[in-house]
Amino acid sequence: MINKDLSVTFLGVKFPNPFCLSSSPVGNCYDMCKKAYEVGWGGVVFKTIGPKSYFIDEVSPRFDKLNKENTPFVGFKNMEQIAEHTLEENLRDLRKLKKEFPNQVLIASIMGNDEKTWEDLARMVEEAGADMIEMNLSCPQMTSHAMGSDVGTNPELCKKYCQAVKRGSKLPMMAKMTPNITDMVPVALACLEGGADGIAAINTIKSICNIDLDKKIGLPIVDGKSAISGYSGKAVKPVALRFIQQMRQDPRLKNLEISGIGGIETWEDAAEFILVGATTLQVTTGIMQYGYRIVEDMKNGLMHYMEEQKVDSLHELIGLANKNIIPAEKLNRDYVVRPQIDLDKCVKCGRCYISCYDGGHQAIEWDKEKRTPSCNKDKCVGCLLCGHVCPVGAITKGEVTLKPGRKGDVKKIRL
Amino acid sequence: MDSKYLKELEEGLSPLTVCEEASRCLLCLDAPCSKACPAGTNPDKFIRSVRFRNFKGAAETIRENNALGAICARVCPTEKYCQKGCSRSGIDRPIDIGRIQRYVTDYEESLKMQILKAGKENGKSVGIVGSGPASLQAAVTLRKLGYKVKVYEKEKVLGGMLRYIPEYRLPNHIVDLEIKRIKGLGVEFVTGCEVGKSLSVAELKKAHDAVILAVGYSYGKMLPMFENNRSVMLAVDFLKKVKAKKGNVKVPENVLVVGGGDVAMDAVTTLKLLGVPHVTDVVYEQFSEFKASKKELSNAQALGVTIMDGYVPDKVRGKTVTFTHREIPGLVKIKADKIILAVGQRPDVEGLGIELVKGEVNTGKDYLTKDPKVFVAGDIAHSKFDKTVVGCVRTGKEVALAVDEALRRAK
Repeated sequence: MINKDLSVTFLGVKFPNPFCLSSSPVGNCYDMCKKAYEVGWGGVVFKTIGPKSYFIDEVSPRFDKLNKENTPFVGFKNMEQIAEHTLEENLRDLRKLKKEFPNQVLIASIMGNDEKTWEDLARMVEEAGADMIEMNLSCPQMTSHAMGSDVGTNPELCKKYCQAVKRGSKLPMMAKMTPNITDMVPVALACLEGGADGIAAINTIKSICNIDLDKKIGLPIVDGKSAISGYSGKAVKPVALRFIQQMRQDPRLKNLEISGIGGIETWEDAAEFILVGATTLQVTTGIMQYGYRIVEDMKNGLMHYMEEQKVDSLHELIGLANKNIIPAEKLNRDYVVRPQIDLDKCVKCGRCYISCYDGGHQAIEWDKEKRTPSCNKDKCVGCLLCGHVCPVGAITKGEVTLKPGRKGDVKKIRL
Repeated sequence: MDSKYLKELEEGLSPLTVCEEASRCLLCLDAPCSKACPAGTNPDKFIRSVRFRNFKGAAETIRENNALGAICARVCPTEKYCQKGCSRSGIDRPIDIGRIQRYVTDYEESLKMQILKAGKENGKSVGIVGSGPASLQAAVTLRKLGYKVKVYEKEKVLGGMLRYIPEYRLPNHIVDLEIKRIKGLGVEFVTGCEVGKSLSVAELKKAHDAVILAVGYSYGKMLPMFENNRSVMLAVDFLKKVKAKKGNVKVPENVLVVGGGDVAMDAVTTLKLLGVPHVTDVVYEQFSEFKASKKELSNAQALGVTIMDGYVPDKVRGKTVTFTHREIPGLVKIKADKIILAVGQRPDVEGLGIELVKGEVNTGKDYLTKDPKVFVAGDIAHSKFDKTVVGCVRTGKEVALAVDEALRRAK
């Protein structure tokens, strides 16, 4: 079996591999984190520890999921807040974990409700043995507006609380961002000004997953009502990648160290986050659906990817896609690439025709006798929707032509 | 020649359909598939790898657990093993584990992955007699442990019974590729060397620290009433000949096959694929107690083989055989151009210095014979699993570990 060094250094702390539990129901107690370490996770972000005064009182049931056709868990909705155990219990668990797993990274997620509690919590988790602190500035389902994503959209407040945490502890610290904001950059900058060493992104997206059609209530139903809460899973991956890219492409945040979060469940997802600039990776929804064991294929697959890419350290891959994602106005708009249809692969379903007609430019023509598609080059604009709907991959990028009046060498165009 | 024989009967999966099939898997706890695999191929782990798009990892899991992964993928009676307890059956039908394994091992081959690695040389050597599945697996496990391994095969080609399994189920080139991988690991092979005849076990014992006899059931059984009948051929001989000649054999219009195991199904299906219009199979067992795998039976039936169950041969006169029903008054008389017997196989252990009880050396777990340097594996080793390729792979793994343990102890 392949064996490559997956270790990364993030905020000065060495992780045996970049895969961490994110602060969530999957890292709620000693037993869970112990099992995760044993299965091979590089780090754990222990479920957010809050101030003593904040009473955790959860609803039942508290989850929902979005399905599409026969795929469940396209997205996942969670209403749980922060750790429900007492502060003493949580600190005891941190101590025990660090003692038993000194080589795997233990990150304490904390959330205060004023400067004092942030500072106190930071001090306490450092004393308990945490290697790093993550500030939860982003939980979208807190029952207090002085906590969670309401704080995370306010750069001033974020900065103040970061300063408080840094007063309480000298540990490396990352601030966890909410995506429930148009632009994450001002908040990230404020956090760095306040002393944060890195950023974790993204927390969950405020959502309503489904509505019960008979009862006219959002799901899950809690005594006849429901509430907006955080959405996660594969469906949010594109949103997470976008926020991370936007931070990394801001000149002020160019070398920002990031812990990437949002729908990671395969090694390919992991590699994508690394390529847009993440150093460590955090996972919850994939674990909630499949268990800690998913890390085995993420680690093994990532090793094979490193081998294919001929790199010996994941650091060589971090952010390699950043420079290739540019503002839309800077893209080459001089050419059109039309579909190439492989009739040997075609199973004659006609989906390309339907999508091109109803969602494209009526360029796919259908031979009713032979039941085969073809492309009318005069009408085709090269959107390639047809290729996306083809169930057998029979439609690929074909001939490249310059738009009328444009100049350039089509051979030099990188498809 | 009919090329149907040379084409794999079962279509492989595509990148699309293998993902669909893997996504049907429930990824269950204490997966019954992995518990049931005699070779320990660990299907739940490799299916999970496919599910999470780690195809290379899936290939590693298969290859490291089963040196004949690509062969087992094609010939294993999965309905009796991994697919039997599949939790997905609670919804509709089991996961098609064999075909997922076939896709993954084909993928492994397409990338020329080199997964198996020899262990650090330990200075000891093991000689293995026979080059069938048990021998090949034992050779690999021993190489991984650092032993030098030399395999002695009586035929000109390597593979033992693997060279009898028809081309439409197991193409020769797949067997060749598996053996090539094993050669790449440093296993030495000699062909045309019949231990017990041209080379004695004593000489072998002198040359190696331990000897494994893995000779297999390479000969077909004869029924007394068919002896010296020129129209009669043994199924294993027929299958071997057809395979060696790539299907280029003359076949008559009307063939009678006697027997209902997997070899019988191989024979009748081969005959049909070679274009024989009338293939009649008369079977001792009734369908409710059939020995052949359901897949092979349904393949034969789909090709139009006439199968009569519950009949015993009573009389033979030239090309005419009379059968009586086992349970009810019933008589069937069939005249055929050729009669093929598929009524079981036997080993030839002459000169090997071992005694067989019911075709097996009753060894217990250590696979040891009365001679402390001589072990057995494969068909002639007592095992709780059927005498199938995968059952032999199991004994191959276990005998290698038994040899290792014995040689370490002797040290």
